[in-house]
Amino acid sequence: MGVRDSHGEAAGTPDPVEKGFATLNTVRIGVKAMVQKDAELRKAEILSIRQRKDGPSFYVHYVDFNKRLDEWIPAARIDLSHEVEWPQPEKTEKKKAATTNKAPSKNVQKRPRADSREVSGTPDALGGKNMNVGKASRPSKAGGKENRDAQTPGGDVSMFPSEAASAAGTPRAGDSEDVDMADANEPKEDEVKTASGEVISREEEIERLRTSGSMTQNPTEIHRVRNLTRLQMGKYDIEPWYFSPYPDAFSDVDLVYIDEFCLSYFDNQRAFERHRAKCTLVHPPGNEIYRDDNISFFEVDGRRQRTWCRNLCLLSKLFLDHKTLYYDVDPFLFYCMCTRDETGCHLVGYFSKEKDSAEGYNLACILTLPQYQRRGFGRLLISFSYELSKREGKLGSPEKPLSDLGLLGYRQYWRETLVELLIEPNREAMSENELAVLTAMTEKDVHETLVVFNMLRYHKGNWVIVLTDYAVGEHNKRLEKEKVKGARRIDPARLQWKPPVFTASSRTWNW
Amino acid sequence: MTRYGGLGRTRPKKLTSKASIPIVREEDIDALEEDIQNLQQIETGVEKAEESEFHLQVAINLTAQGKVNDAHIPTPETILSSLRYEELYPPIFSQPATYIRSSATVEDCCGCTYNMTEEDAVFLKIYNQKRDPSAQCSEDNFEATMNFFEETAQAKQPFAAVDNPPVLSFTEIEQAMDAAVEEAVKHFAKDIYPHWKSRRSVENNNSLEPSLKFETGQDTDDSDPWVCFRRREVRQIRKTRGRDAQSAEKLRRLRKELEDARQMVALVRQREVARKEMLAMERTIFLQRSEVKDMKRKLNIKDDDEDLINQKPKKKPMEIPPGQRPNAPQLRMPLKGGLQGAEDLQLLEDVQAEKENEILRDIKANITKHIKWNEGYVDHTRAPLSPSPERTFDATAFRPAFTAQLPTPPSSESSGDMMDTSLDVTSPLFSRDKLASRAMEMHEEPNRMPSFRRRVGRGGRLMIDRRNFAARCKIDMDPFKADRFKFDQEDSDEESVFETDGFSIQIMQHRAITMAKAREQAAVAAQAHAQAQAQAAQVQAQRRLQNEQSGNQAAPPAPSAVPASSEA
Repeated sequence: MGVRDSHGEAAGTPDPVEKGFATLNTVRIGVKAMVQKDAELRKAEILSIRQRKDGPSFYVHYVDFNKRLDEWIPAARIDLSHEVEWPQPEKTEKKKAATTNKAPSKNVQKRPRADSREVSGTPDALGGKNMNVGKASRPSKAGGKENRDAQTPGGDVSMFPSEAASAAGTPRAGDSEDVDMADANEPKEDEVKTASGEVISREEEIERLRTSGSMTQNPTEIHRVRNLTRLQMGKYDIEPWYFSPYPDAFSDVDLVYIDEFCLSYFDNQRAFERHRAKCTLVHPPGNEIYRDDNISFFEVDGRRQRTWCRNLCLLSKLFLDHKTLYYDVDPFLFYCMCTRDETGCHLVGYFSKEKDSAEGYNLACILTLPQYQRRGFGRLLISFSYELSKREGKLGSPEKPLSDLGLLGYRQYWRETLVELLIEPNREAMSENELAVLTAMTEKDVHETLVVFNMLRYHKGNWVIVLTDYAVGEHNKRLEKEKVKGARRIDPARLQWKPPVFTASSRTWNW
Repeated sequence: MTRYGGLGRTRPKKLTSKASIPIVREEDIDALEEDIQNLQQIETGVEKAEESEFHLQVAINLTAQGKVNDAHIPTPETILSSLRYEELYPPIFSQPATYIRSSATVEDCCGCTYNMTEEDAVFLKIYNQKRDPSAQCSEDNFEATMNFFEETAQAKQPFAAVDNPPVLSFTEIEQAMDAAVEEAVKHFAKDIYPHWKSRRSVENNNSLEPSLKFETGQDTDDSDPWVCFRRREVRQIRKTRGRDAQSAEKLRRLRKELEDARQMVALVRQREVARKEMLAMERTIFLQRSEVKDMKRKLNIKDDDEDLINQKPKKKPMEIPPGQRPNAPQLRMPLKGGLQGAEDLQLLEDVQAEKENEILRDIKANITKHIKWNEGYVDHTRAPLSPSPERTFDATAFRPAFTAQLPTPPSSESSGDMMDTSLDVTSPLFSRDKLASRAMEMHEEPNRMPSFRRRVGRGGRLMIDRRNFAARCKIDMDPFKADRFKFDQEDSDEESVFETDGFSIQIMQHRAITMAKAREQAAVAAQAHAQAQAQAAQVQAQRRLQNEQSGNQAAPPAPSAVPASSEA
């Protein structure tokens, strides 16, 4: 009891981090150590460890950097001359201090299941039993003994590195190639905070995913070690950013081949070439609804083109952290942007949209494939999504949470769109509602954009919209650029599209 | 208004979304007056835990400073692949002029789903080395065979991933070979089977093609990150007795409609058979007649040849020559209420015959009149026997605009635009005159009804004359104005013309349903009626019997019949 009480007190104070020196042998999953990165030291959390012929390599996540920068590093890059932070002890216990008996038992229940899944045939090299220690205890004085339930109180940190070293050192024989992709990601808490700050449980989240939406907030789904090494698609070799549930055999190969048109996936070059010889698809398998000199848009129904849309989702999950593939693609429509040449319509990017969004979202997931990024395609995709909303006569907003790149892309689009309207000659005053109706943005997005860019100000007792010098400058710059390069805009006249109508029975039968 | 610490500032007015906000340039406002803004914190919409990320923070701060375009978030790079792109992606695409419409699925486009691997290629090479070129197995055949094995295994051992059965034996595979299996597959199956089996064994009898992990119905599914694309549960519909009855009713109706359709087809068939018989008969008649003709020529018989032509049956004097009669409508299903409506319909033949008679009568009358007129004169004019101008106002020349009701509004013509039809002089029935006929229904007197005459002028010009128009109805009004009076009358029996397609599925369905309903109700009523009668008769008979028996027996048996009303 006394132990738990002390934990309960600790929970109130911020970050009672335990620090200490570690050796290579005591470094384990969950440890935060300083790591060499681009000629500087960054704090990094170790998420997985595997054995290679030339020693262990570590999968690290740089604290306060996006997970797409996570990587495998050799042991040499870990700087052990600095103290490391040991992983936090069990949190569930602190929380459930009141129900004393429950917490440990729950803890025990969870463990075997995780082990059976995560640990494959070969026994783990370094951690031994402590493979999944993301949430587990730090090594105790008892060395290699089971120490799950015997939580040691904090304070005696200085002692254990050496002991733990001896404990972990023994089982380390005869491992040549690794295969263990250990996973640091058992849920630390069952409750998750969403972007809007409300707390929802896992069950609630799954229910939410079932009825609508495509974004997950759950750390178990997003804190995963990237499973594919490299991707071959079309003319490009691409590095994946995040985990995606491709067949698990794909984790072992160096290069995964993706067919550029049907998005099928292969871990074998010969198989891929054979497939290419047979595949006749040259454009996304749906109806073209927009075409201009540069690009085409295709509308693909998740229910009718299940395989293709699943392939697309698997692919995009490699680049979208919060995308969930928990449920099937049926309730979504996929709007795919392509460039054309004599080989076919090449997918550049897409966005998905719920057939019926309870929250009024006009876009669920959006992605420009990495090989086409930073060329203005994302802006076209966003613009197209609002063009569809205009056709529907609705105001729309993207589903949250946004990714970092998504936020920047949207903010830029919002600013440029609003400035474009505000700068029109003879406009003297406008309400936020008018702006929203003209752009199909929600009033909230309009208001927040104006505030973020410091364009909505209170001046002499009245609100004014200020066309800042900066905004005007950017606008002119953009116009000049368009003069040189040609305007890349969505022309509503070329959109041949009516909002699709779905019957009550399609609702009942899962779209 | 509250003052803030005497600073001369007031709390900002509340800003509503409908409030119009003046737009100004930055130079128009003095910088001193600012600083109240940004009282509220704007949510980024990014996951809270990720908001603090270094690159995002840099980008957000740059935005705040107005340097949006300097914001840059590094991403892993992509490089050009060493793949021989041109070989794998041949230039076969030609863009159609119209937007592409396609519904083919990935499976439709990919041919055989099995793709041979390097391992397979090695096996196939060795296998083919031993054989002369004609007996060699092509890659396509190899894949087809492997695919057949995989599919058979999947069908016979659907839970192989869970319960680990042994690899399917060749005899089991042979059993699955039916007529649908290609010859080549059957031919090579035996030779390729050992290779497939060895590969399957290596994979623990799992599918050779790497596949996604779907739900298996086990508890571990929920937390397994590899399991994806779960099915969403079907929304439960509440089961009620009413809904049960409804669906039973729907099924019954569907059955009935199918039955009707079947019957209709049977009748059509019967008709066509009869028609065929008739044609055969006509042909024999023709042949026999030609024989008769030859015979007559040969024997030099001269009579009126009446036996060589068809005598028109007297009963139907108005038979139209077959060319004039449109054949298509005969095949058509009777429109709404075909059974009841058919009798009310005026036949086109009748109308046309009547008209023709009228004309003939007119001409005869004219001729006699002309002769009378010219008595004692020699006519040198070449004037035709056309009716004199006064005659044109003879009521007989004009046909009153009948407002005979068609069972359904004429479909296609009426669906045209009002603007278009009002210009269409040749079809007065469908132009604004239609309004007239509706408007005129109020006037009972037939001689004041609007009437029309069609004339064919020189060069085949068609002219329509009309009478009784301006005097009584509002027809010369602007059609838009006339439209306002459209609903003034309570002409209940005139169906207002909705723009519908008479042959659209919904309307036909509706018609069929209403028909079926009406018939069913009639049937039920008739049945009830019959039952009631029968029971009444029965009761009476029993009473009579009782009366007869009452002399003998003291207690007559109570009538067991239940009143009919409860069943009806």
